[in-house]
Amino acid sequence: MSNEKLTSLIKELGESQLSDDASLSIEMFDGEESVACIKVEDREEFPIYMTVDEGQILCISYLFGEEQVNPDKRAALAEAMLMMNVSIPLSAFSKIGDQYIMFGALSPKSSIDEILHEIELLSDNVLEAIEAVTDYFKEAA
Amino acid sequence: MSIFNKLLTAVRGGVTEAGEAVVDSQAIRILDQELRDSKKSLSDAKTGLTSIMAEKMGIDRKVKELSEKVKEHEGYAIQAMDKGDESLALDVANKIAELEHELTIQQGILKGYETKVANLKKIIRQTERNIQAMDREVSVVKTTAKVQKANDLAASKFSGSNSSLSSATDSLERIKARQQQREDQAAAAMELEADENGDDLQARLKTAGIVDSESSGSSILERLKKQKENK
Repeated sequence: MSNEKLTSLIKELGESQLSDDASLSIEMFDGEESVACIKVEDREEFPIYMTVDEGQILCISYLFGEEQVNPDKRAALAEAMLMMNVSIPLSAFSKIGDQYIMFGALSPKSSIDEILHEIELLSDNVLEAIEAVTDYFKEAA
Repeated sequence: MSIFNKLLTAVRGGVTEAGEAVVDSQAIRILDQELRDSKKSLSDAKTGLTSIMAEKMGIDRKVKELSEKVKEHEGYAIQAMDKGDESLALDVANKIAELEHELTIQQGILKGYETKVANLKKIIRQTERNIQAMDREVSVVKTTAKVQKANDLAASKFSGSNSSLSSATDSLERIKARQQQREDQAAAAMELEADENGDDLQARLKTAGIVDSESSGSSILERLKKQKENK
């Protein structure tokens, strides 16, 4: 039921473009067809994973792993992310296992335009976010 | 323990060990079943409430009828007394006593029904809230499971190769470099186009005899000066 919804969403999204004409390449991520992998043109390094169920459409992008974080700045990073969280439009920080992530959630009734907007914004936010937290990395630039 | 606490425990404990899922699909199936059962009993309770409310309405009607009858007979009794028929008045009064007795009984039953209905409504509201909470829980658990799976898949896809997940900064730099390159290309292309258009304009002006082939700033100035003097 949900998988059908995801499949039809993928089809629609694949035929769409973002507002800056960037195209999306989308494929099912797993055999069970429950997770889609969305790559925004020229930002393939940060794919967006999308799942759909009765409660929500979830878009997740992986930021960086725990191993990249400077251990001495770990607490400061966590606080910085928490404090940034509210201000970031539509997206929020989280963590899965030892991976820091950014995600956005939408109502399953969202229109295709709303989903596209979400993907575009999440993609932008991911780049901004990584730039903002590089000071906390081991190889601080 | 609240669902969030449970999740936190699960997430803290299990996830870092690769491949170990927080929630197995069996657990989700059980939750789904529980949810369906709760919804079924809720609809049963609602059906029960409907029939009890119907019964209550019946009693309600009875109470009203009896009250009206009491009033009616009180009227009769007064009329009998006005006519001086004491024995008739007493008979009517006895009837009233009978009616009032019945009325008290029915009012007691009605009150019982009212309490029952209020309680049932309360239970139904509570059940509905529980179901909503459970719905949310199932959704949270399902999402966690999905995220978990996506994470495992992503990890297995990227492990071994030092691509995406290896360094966020490197990836960001690559993206920015590509963007810069594209911007540079666009700027260069625009410049080129401007140049070409400029050349084209010069050529056309020359053909039209407006601009001298060897025209320079000074020669133009010279020409303009002459024009001014001639005026």
